[in-house]
Amino acid sequence: MKRNRMRLVGPALALLLALTVPACSSKPAAPPQPPATATPPAAERAEDQPRDGGTLTFASLGDIVTLNPLFAQDTASGDLQQLLLARLYDLSPEGKLAVTENSLAAELPRVEDGGLRYTIKLKETPRWSDGKPVTADDVVFTFQMMANPEVGSPLLPYVDKVKEIKAVDPHTVEITMKEIYAPFELTALNVPVAPRHVLEGVAPRELQNHPYGKDLTRTVTNGPYRWAEWQQNQYHVLTRDPNFWGKKPHIEKVVYKVYADAQTMVQGLLSGDVDMATGIPVSLLGAVKAKEGLTVIEQPGPYYDYLGFNFNGENFPGGKSPFAGVKTRQAIAYAINRKGMVDSILQGHGSIINGPFLSSSWAYTPGSDVDYPYDPEKAKQLLAEDGWKPGPDGILRKDGQRFAFTLQYNAGNTRREQIAAVVQQNLKDVGIEVKIEPVEWSAWVEKNISPGKFQAVLLGWQLTPDPDAEPIFSSRYFPPSGQNIGWYRNERADRLWVEGYRTTDPAKRKQVYADLARELSTDLPYVFLMQRNEILGVSQRVRWKKEHAPVLSLPYGYFLRFVEYWVTD
Amino acid sequence: MIPFLVRRILQSLLVLLLVSMVTFSLIHAAPGGPVQIFLRPGLSPELVQAQIHNLGLDRPLPVQYLEWLGRLLRGDFGTTFKTGTPVGQILWPTLKNTVILMTTAWVLTLLIAIPWGIYNSTRPYGLWDTVAAVLGYAGFALPAFWFGIILQQIFALRLGVLPLSDMHTIGRQGDLLDLIRHMVLPVTTLVVINLAGYLKYARASMLEVLGQDYIRTARAKGASERRVIFRHALRNALIPIVTVLGLDLPGIVAGATLTETVFNWPGMGRLFVQMAFAREYPVLMAITVVTTAVVVLGNLLADVLYAVVDPRVRLGVRGTEPA
Repeated sequence: MKRNRMRLVGPALALLLALTVPACSSKPAAPPQPPATATPPAAERAEDQPRDGGTLTFASLGDIVTLNPLFAQDTASGDLQQLLLARLYDLSPEGKLAVTENSLAAELPRVEDGGLRYTIKLKETPRWSDGKPVTADDVVFTFQMMANPEVGSPLLPYVDKVKEIKAVDPHTVEITMKEIYAPFELTALNVPVAPRHVLEGVAPRELQNHPYGKDLTRTVTNGPYRWAEWQQNQYHVLTRDPNFWGKKPHIEKVVYKVYADAQTMVQGLLSGDVDMATGIPVSLLGAVKAKEGLTVIEQPGPYYDYLGFNFNGENFPGGKSPFAGVKTRQAIAYAINRKGMVDSILQGHGSIINGPFLSSSWAYTPGSDVDYPYDPEKAKQLLAEDGWKPGPDGILRKDGQRFAFTLQYNAGNTRREQIAAVVQQNLKDVGIEVKIEPVEWSAWVEKNISPGKFQAVLLGWQLTPDPDAEPIFSSRYFPPSGQNIGWYRNERADRLWVEGYRTTDPAKRKQVYADLARELSTDLPYVFLMQRNEILGVSQRVRWKKEHAPVLSLPYGYFLRFVEYWVTD
Repeated sequence: MIPFLVRRILQSLLVLLLVSMVTFSLIHAAPGGPVQIFLRPGLSPELVQAQIHNLGLDRPLPVQYLEWLGRLLRGDFGTTFKTGTPVGQILWPTLKNTVILMTTAWVLTLLIAIPWGIYNSTRPYGLWDTVAAVLGYAGFALPAFWFGIILQQIFALRLGVLPLSDMHTIGRQGDLLDLIRHMVLPVTTLVVINLAGYLKYARASMLEVLGQDYIRTARAKGASERRVIFRHALRNALIPIVTVLGLDLPGIVAGATLTETVFNWPGMGRLFVQMAFAREYPVLMAITVVTTAVVVLGNLLADVLYAVVDPRVRLGVRGTEPA
């Protein structure tokens, strides 16, 4: 009962605010700005010079789980890690591995034997907040614990291709790989490090329950801020560490405020309780833009939605997947009005995506993927060519099989609910019957996704900076032990994925991923639907220089150069 | 009275046990689980199995239940799956926040509703009675979150006189004035929503009593109107209100999900929804136990209060004639 009422809150509130907020605000709504170019004029004024001090309040939906680098994986924990813990390497705005003043490493890793050996040189200055130095031992300990199955770290897949890791001296780490695996750099080397001196006595299976990362009195940190206060489900206070070994931040105090609901969070931004908030719902964007003193930054975010087919015949009556023919899949891509989805569902705050790589990624080559503009006539023609003929009820048939399938998505996700409705209508227009079935997330994962038992799904991926997606598309990763949940098999693509990570040469990799984009956008394991924009609302009292602006296509990109931000007044 | 109490307490314990048993089975019977929440690319089934085993979720359900019960009897609610944090550490502060909010709203509601309801019963269809009726319809019809947002728009965003949300200004924990300022809007929301019901109960039950023979007798023997109302009518009129009070008591610990969400109040309603989505069984069980205990306690309290407001009710004493 309670949950049903909660589900109603989202859409109902959104509607209400869309109606009331502009009416209450004294300023007329700002003219619509083109997405992705809407940048903060105030934040980049040339005469502004950084000043030290002040407080910035950042809004989050949800509280942290743990800051322990071995276990943290939710967004809130990741946010705080950005400010409290230094990483081995940081990211450049282009999403490549980078050394900054605040990275633990002193220089980029030395890669030898074509990628079989990495040597990491650490800075000598980094210290934990209890005064102990950060050394190679901490790094080795972190990797060993990640790799130990008894620990149960979700980061285990990052390091499963590591053969050996050792400390050569207190500031040098040497990693030997079982095989060349290029994504290793952007996954495993872009992590915060766990303090060995705090955790080494703990039994591996007890690590998850250790207070480190959850009890601020027992959590030593090594980043620019210190964890000063935590009121559960309310807020965190972080204060600038006066003894920080790296580039000290300008902002004195960061309040990380927890909200239970996006609408309430946006109200906080409008009232000035909050200076920065991400994930602003499109329905509330008008109110934020209309508010004086607030700026909206919008860039393509690191996620896309897709319509996933199941190729395993066991999931269909008659033992045959109707999606087996490539022309059929292309017909479906032509039949779906993706442009219309971007315009109506995302209200223009997103873009069509044709392949598994984000256009913002260094691995993307423009024009490498095939576009399928909305064309129902072409779709009908392709379906006919593939042998589908209209039956007496208007639904297509082939070899006695009626073209009807069930499309599942996670209940409560309004965006997918809307996508499902469009897909249903669009496919009906070309003679395919779609039954829509929303399922509760955790039950769905257990019963349908993990075992690969469904007919078609609406799902999305959040992408990491490395383009490798072998576990999603390769036939080496069939369920239940892999993430290729639609049982997609394409031998050429399988080989290309391996080729893509078996070289550490970025130019060569880029070529491979261009080939893959063409292969997958032609063969269509999914219909790639759309990439939605990440929307950051920020008060104009928060300033940065142009080169330090948030990069929203990267995970935690709003904190990328946080130490360079400052606040006026 | 004593045998009655003992019997009721024993019954209550049985109810608690049964509720916990049913809830425990239902929670575990639902498809999906805490481990599925962790799903991400590359998480192998072996790792999922290891997690399930680490959490003890692969053992037979009765064994899990008995262990949970055993810990509960020692006053231990267990720890959360995700982080191993003791459940009490999450539950008690949240419970305290909710009790502060709900009790204030509840007491204010009663302080307004009962005198007003009584007044209206003496002048039915008068000006104040009409106001109450209109307010009553509005109160029943208003969605809590909608009313809350309107208050926020006016008093926080437009006039800027009251805080928009939350329980404290950051860094001002324990500052009573600050807390009160933060409570004004959520408490107003709750009072307006709840007032309607109590007003109607108070008025209706008083009206009914005022039509009784013994009231006519009291008036006939020349008692003043004040004496008739407060001395003769009020006590009897309170009985149905006490029943409603008992039924509403659990709300004080269960919280008000929508109001808490709108005002970002760190209370139980918010916690329950969060924990249900995260499949934190130990927290859900703890909330169930605490709420059930209060439901049972509320009913018990109502029964005892009956005896206080109405001496004719002699609980559980068999064979005695009503006075």
